[in-house]
Amino acid sequence: MTTTTPVPTETECPPIDFGELKSECVAPRPSIMGQKRGLRSILWLSFKGIVRGLLTTLSYFRRPSTVVTQQYPENRETLEMFERYRGRLSLIHNEEGEHGCTACQICERLCPNASIIITKDKKNEATGKPALDQFIWRQDTCTFCNICVLVCPFDTLEMTGDFESSVYDRRLLVFNLNEYAGPTAGQLDKLEDDELAKAQMKPMKKYQGPVPMCGGEMDGIPKLDVEKPTDV
Amino acid sequence: MADALLNQLSLTLSVHTSDVFVAPAMSLADRASRALESGVWGAVLYIVIGLVAVLTAVSVLGLVMSYIERKVAGHFQCRLGPMRVGPHGVLQSLADGIKLLFKEGIEPGHGDKVIFIGAPIFSITATILLLAIVPLAPGIQVVDMNVGVVYIAAVSGLGVMGILMGGWSSNNKWSLLGAMRAGAQMISYEVSLTIALLVVVLFSGTLKVSEIIESQQQGWWIWRGHGVAIVAFCLYVIASTAELNRTPFDLPEGESELTGGYHTEYSGLRFSFFFLAEFANLFVFSALAVTFFFGGWLPFHVGNYEGFNSVMDLLPPVISPMFWFGSKCATLIFILMWFRWTFPRLRMDQLMRLEWKVLLPIGFANLILAATVVLTGLYFFPSAT
Repeated sequence: MTTTTPVPTETECPPIDFGELKSECVAPRPSIMGQKRGLRSILWLSFKGIVRGLLTTLSYFRRPSTVVTQQYPENRETLEMFERYRGRLSLIHNEEGEHGCTACQICERLCPNASIIITKDKKNEATGKPALDQFIWRQDTCTFCNICVLVCPFDTLEMTGDFESSVYDRRLLVFNLNEYAGPTAGQLDKLEDDELAKAQMKPMKKYQGPVPMCGGEMDGIPKLDVEKPTDV
Repeated sequence: MADALLNQLSLTLSVHTSDVFVAPAMSLADRASRALESGVWGAVLYIVIGLVAVLTAVSVLGLVMSYIERKVAGHFQCRLGPMRVGPHGVLQSLADGIKLLFKEGIEPGHGDKVIFIGAPIFSITATILLLAIVPLAPGIQVVDMNVGVVYIAAVSGLGVMGILMGGWSSNNKWSLLGAMRAGAQMISYEVSLTIALLVVVLFSGTLKVSEIIESQQQGWWIWRGHGVAIVAFCLYVIASTAELNRTPFDLPEGESELTGGYHTEYSGLRFSFFFLAEFANLFVFSALAVTFFFGGWLPFHVGNYEGFNSVMDLLPPVISPMFWFGSKCATLIFILMWFRWTFPRLRMDQLMRLEWKVLLPIGFANLILAATVVLTGLYFFPSAT
């Protein structure tokens, strides 16, 4: 008695592109409801459904390997975070420790709660192009909306799986994401003189940004009366 | 009057102590019947002692089974369940119990205080009364009355009362709706439950629980019942799941629409009484299924395969009934848990339709068929009768 619904055409159901994944047009599964079925057919379908459900849960029960729970504090060393998890923001540095941020400030302008502050050197001596000075990220106001990662034209930002960010002082949640102040990896590669390139990379510390709350110096944190970056 | 009372009590007590310490050959069943026949006060004392023992069993059962339930539920859902308190979380339910013990028992402002306090006690009393008739091993049974099945039908209906009282006195719409649902559901499904049990009563020809077990010496009723008993068992499992308010029939506490159902307003120890009653009921209903369909504490025998049967009889007579009864019960409890963590909840009208339009007609037809089978003597293993 089942009437099979035809597979919808491309115009009826345009495929959606998710990058690597692509949506697929499939015929809707025949529903038991609203169809004229014999009693035996209904009973058989119900029985099949019940048994299939029971077998599915039993298959999970039988195999402890299907458990997805992470025993967190114990497995801290081997903990695997999911790729899509949004933890601490990080500026990607390559093997030579060079980043790709051109200090274009798109992320800063699009950040909905002004958690990103970028200062830059308007004209680097060696490359003659603007170079990043400080990439300041305020985790205390960040909502992890991922917009900065999406809009970056050079794909230099990523949300890492690092979630252990509890501290006793909010000021410690203001990070300096770049490991050095200076031009991008590409610009440094164009310089023929390796020594000159090295010289452009002024090392930066994790905490080097301005911290808004009043307070004095802390271990590893400079004094908090750093003036607000003017080039915003 | 008081003197006579004291005399009677001391007499009963001395009978008991002498039985325990002097005459160990006397079986527990004999002692029970002697105590019950020794006069009103002797019977009362015996029953009180028995029920206190059962209450202890209920508490321990509740602790163990809530742990098992959570563990089993976890693994059905790709989780681990409790893991922190003790190795693999074995002390979790103990910790929960202590927590509940120290919690404040809040009473709703405009509720009916007396009924509110009485409801959980009523609920757990019904469970204890039901446990009194469960034969755990030969003779280990608080009361073995000759109208056991009637008693089961009557007392299992009592549990509804506690739930209705709790819902009514809470002065809370969710509690009331949950209790009304529970009442409707439990009263409806009780019919199917009893009809399913009656099939076995027809086969064994007795209402006495211990005799029902004895009648299965030659084979369990689920095999010997010619398929009729299998249908009855399926009915029993479905109806007892509904009777226990467990998923897929857990509408009385449907969290999505009723918060906590009839125990929304309960906290602390009173809540834990409802909780204990629920878990103890789970044990009781599986124990009854084991008693009626799977031969209670009798070991697993297959027809005339003497070799196989003697292997099954290898366990010493002290452990054997405990082992067989326990393992059969555990299997059934596991099946009920399996149901709970697999199926989604039914809708209220679907629930009622299932009972009155499907299960009940099947139950009646099955009962008539069973009567025919019994009249014509179409059992398996006819030598047993």
